[in-house]
Amino acid sequence: MELYTPIFVLGGIGAAFVIVSMIVGAIAGPKRYNRTKLQAYECGIEPTPQPVGGGRFTIKYYLTAMLFIVFDIEVIFLVPWAVHLDALGIFGLVVMILFLVNVSIAYAYEWRRGGLEWN
Amino acid sequence: MIPLSLSETTLPTVTTQAPDLDYWLLSPLLVVFAAGVIGVIVEAFVPAQRRYSIQTALAMVAVGVAFVLTLVQVGALPADSAGLTLAFATVVVDRPSLFFQGVILALALASLLLIAERRDGESAFTGQAAAVPGSEEERAHVLAGSQHTEVYPLVMFAVLGMQLFTAANDFLTMFIALEVMSLPLYLLCGLARRRRLFSQEAALKYFLLGAFSSAFFLFGIAMVYGYAGAVEFAAVRAAGSSGGLIDGGEPLLLIGIAMIGVGMLFKVGTVPFHNWKPDVYQGAPTPITALMASGTLVAAFGAMLRVFYVAFGTTVAQWRPMLWVVAILTMVVAAVIAVTQRDIKRLLAYSSVVHAGFILTAVVAANADGLTGAMFYLAAYGFTTVGAFAIVTLVRNPDNGAEAGDLTQWAGLGRTSPFLAASLGLFLLAFAGIPLTSGFIGKFAVFEAAVAAGATPLVVVGVLSSAVTAFFYVRIIVLMFFAEPAENAPRVLKPGILTGTTVGLGVAATLLLGILPGPVLEHVIPQPAAETSEAVAAEHTAADSLFAR
Amino acid sequence: MTPTTVVSAAALDAEPGLDAFGNDPWWIILIKALAVFVFLMLCVLMMIMADRKVMGRMQQRHGPNRFGPWGLLQSLADGVKLSLKEDLIPRTVDKVIYIAAPMIAAIPAFFAFSVIPVGPEVTMFGVETRLQLTDLPVAVLLVLATASLGVYGIVLAGWASRSPYPLLGGLRASAQVISYEIAMGLSFIAVFIYAGTLSTSGIVEAQQNIWFAVILFPSFVIYLITMIGETNRLPFDLPEGEGELVGGFMTEYSSMKFTMFFLAEYVNMVTVSAMSVTLFLGGYLAPPPITTFWPGANEGWWPALWWLIKFVCVMFLFVWVRGSLPRVRYDQLMKLGWKILIPIQLVWITAVAVIRVLNNQEYPGYVTAIVIGVFGLLVFLGLWAWSRAAAKAKAQEAAEHEAELRARRENPMYGGFPVPPMIAPHYGTSVLAEEPRYQPASAPKREEVSGA
Repeated sequence: MELYTPIFVLGGIGAAFVIVSMIVGAIAGPKRYNRTKLQAYECGIEPTPQPVGGGRFTIKYYLTAMLFIVFDIEVIFLVPWAVHLDALGIFGLVVMILFLVNVSIAYAYEWRRGGLEWN
Repeated sequence: MIPLSLSETTLPTVTTQAPDLDYWLLSPLLVVFAAGVIGVIVEAFVPAQRRYSIQTALAMVAVGVAFVLTLVQVGALPADSAGLTLAFATVVVDRPSLFFQGVILALALASLLLIAERRDGESAFTGQAAAVPGSEEERAHVLAGSQHTEVYPLVMFAVLGMQLFTAANDFLTMFIALEVMSLPLYLLCGLARRRRLFSQEAALKYFLLGAFSSAFFLFGIAMVYGYAGAVEFAAVRAAGSSGGLIDGGEPLLLIGIAMIGVGMLFKVGTVPFHNWKPDVYQGAPTPITALMASGTLVAAFGAMLRVFYVAFGTTVAQWRPMLWVVAILTMVVAAVIAVTQRDIKRLLAYSSVVHAGFILTAVVAANADGLTGAMFYLAAYGFTTVGAFAIVTLVRNPDNGAEAGDLTQWAGLGRTSPFLAASLGLFLLAFAGIPLTSGFIGKFAVFEAAVAAGATPLVVVGVLSSAVTAFFYVRIIVLMFFAEPAENAPRVLKPGILTGTTVGLGVAATLLLGILPGPVLEHVIPQPAAETSEAVAAEHTAADSLFAR
Repeated sequence: MTPTTVVSAAALDAEPGLDAFGNDPWWIILIKALAVFVFLMLCVLMMIMADRKVMGRMQQRHGPNRFGPWGLLQSLADGVKLSLKEDLIPRTVDKVIYIAAPMIAAIPAFFAFSVIPVGPEVTMFGVETRLQLTDLPVAVLLVLATASLGVYGIVLAGWASRSPYPLLGGLRASAQVISYEIAMGLSFIAVFIYAGTLSTSGIVEAQQNIWFAVILFPSFVIYLITMIGETNRLPFDLPEGEGELVGGFMTEYSSMKFTMFFLAEYVNMVTVSAMSVTLFLGGYLAPPPITTFWPGANEGWWPALWWLIKFVCVMFLFVWVRGSLPRVRYDQLMKLGWKILIPIQLVWITAVAVIRVLNNQEYPGYVTAIVIGVFGLLVFLGLWAWSRAAAKAKAQEAAEHEAELRARRENPMYGGFPVPPMIAPHYGTSVLAEEPRYQPASAPKREEVSGA
């Protein structure tokens, strides 16, 4: 735990700075009410009413998020393997190459089916 | 706070020695997995027109090869030792697991025949699952003859999960197997070609409820881990007899058993966790329903038997009352509801729920006879139900080609298509447990085991429930053979080679297991009595030694 | 002491090289933490200023030069001005998340720097301590984790603003950051293979003989690219693309809340630069030729200087890239991240692992050479297949385009485009209808069309 304490000390200092300066900003600035100032900015036209929850947006983002999870887990699997590669030897190499090949096949499928296209 | 007293040995250790895997013993699983992976490559790189033939051939060859490999391994198992563990003791290869895997592979092959069946280029699956039902886009895809051959890799992955589910030797492997089995099935349920909204609703329901049950299962694992300090079945079993890791930890074990039980009973589909079954069976494409009703049920019961006989084998007194209640509820409630059903697929779904209740009586028995009885029952029921669903795919509405589910339409079918009606009649009789069919032997086996274990009231309920269910099976037979054909009589398709083979397989298995059960009971199903009758110690029932560690 | 700490302490004992950490007195920790914080803030202020001044010089102008000597205090003045601006909260926003988002973006940014090694053991007020706040057995993962936490700030800011531009900006930003995070994580893997540890000080010590930037050059290059993508800097600053999305996810923010996003961006820049120095450029170790004639270059406080020089060079790279490269399109950005960086990384990591294991197993040199040759061949084949497919696709697209143009020339109505007919009764003109350009030769002579 001693190793982690300094991180929280630094984080605490950072958090204190962030919160204090946001409070300062809220207090120090002027307050001049103006109805249009409190509207969402849309280059001056009447703001489009936004549905609660953000409404619908393109499924591309969901696809990217799902693919990200797959690959992020892959990276996390690779980390301990990389650190102990010398100990794992040929076995570790073969197993991890098999794993990478499997992930790459899913990746190739997504690529071929246009899951990575943006336009 | 619970005083955790961790011994020195529980400290994390860094493995510096490279482990070794016995790829030969894993080969039935690896073959199926490889077929799934190659299927994905095919999907990615082969032109659309050629995918169907490659995928069907690949899937069937892989399942066939895996089946042969399983048989070879049964022969290669040393006669005296009960089984082997491999891959860090996460997977077990013993006679029950090989038997279940063999049955699953055979049932998967039968279901694959149904899945591969196409009429005028139309399979049972939608052309483009992402298109909104009824939209112009969907129409374009139908006209263009699009098809999802991704179905085959998905089925391969599901079958892999089923195989691993019955062979898992610790709770975490079992959980992974559960997910590998379930996720493709959720997807497959939503791919029906006709009545797509219905199908998508079924998939969503199955997914949500399945996710809940998985969560229960996982929570249960956490509880059991808290009690035993391990997830391996052997360690949990040892903890059960020695009193667990911590003092006063029994509540953890009880909650764990209950929650794992909920997860398992959901997959099996017993009351009160049966609600998904009718909707999903009805909405899913019928070939997938066949796979779920046979393969998944076998896998789920295989896993359940292992969990309750091995991991919780020393705490039988704790879980037996729970399963008593569930078994009685299942047999009574589902039988009563089944009587009111008007749709053939829903009726078969409720029938599957009732059968799950019957098999539960064997689980409750918790002895070697219970195990063999359940194994025989599962094999018999699996083939019969695949055959029954194969017949369902053949009876279509005259106007739009969708399956004619309404039972009134089935009236008089015995006169227009006698062979088909006779096959279905045979299957229904087997469901009802009439002698000379496989269903009778199966029921006899599980009830016998339950009586031997002192669960006679359960058997009485079971027999009464059988009588109720026999009523509605016989009603359908009467409807088919002794009623006038309905006005909106269905169009009965001529079974192709693939569907015909499946029906034939179902009929053959039902008759064979019913008339000549002896060879199967003696040779195929592992015999506990012969091997261990002398070794039955006070603590070890014969069933335990079947499941080796 | 509770049993859990026993376990963690025992597990840490197994990890070598961390004995030097975790035994500082509390006031040393405080001093070091404050020093890191001040350094971060100074870096941010100087970086903003340097950004503008260097950019100015690159564009043949002066940049800010009014406030303080050579305009050095410009960003400080900007900060004070920002804090005196009105703190607007638009009426439609989701208030709690709207206020929390800048904090979520800014606070995690500070955590990461705590594991950056700036120097080896020094004596500070009579106490032996390392010039590094702390080190962990999983230090690099901490940096990755805090980087991902920052994404929450961005996406929540976009979502809570309830306005189209921020929503799109937030989505784009998070999609971009997570895409580049994978390539970034993969570029670390090769370093881990060679260092055999995740602790940052251990990684620096592993570079005594040669920097990883040299032996793992592809990883280094990809890290530099992803580092810019991860911090949303030009040429990858799509989320804030002023031309299309106004201010991106920050559009609805003002005053200090806006400043916090700015701060987070610059602190993240500092962190990723420091990580590149640590992982690839030998950290605080003196550049190679120096140690040959000056053995003391790696002792005492000198390493901090080497570190700072390397760090400033990487920071300069940010400005240099920004000054030289135009902004990419969003599809190009995602294509680079997903279709180029990730496959290259996967092949590269496999190659590194294979070669490393072959060396460890003491296979003869020709085996390694053959393996390298096979890898080279495979990569070449892959590139060849890819370029062929790309050329084919391009040719096909061009052919389709050509066909469409031709079809449109021959039939103005092609493709359902609403073209009015050349003549119609209701045109109501007494002049002769224009002759159709592609009149068939056999068409009858046109009559005069009159209205009504």
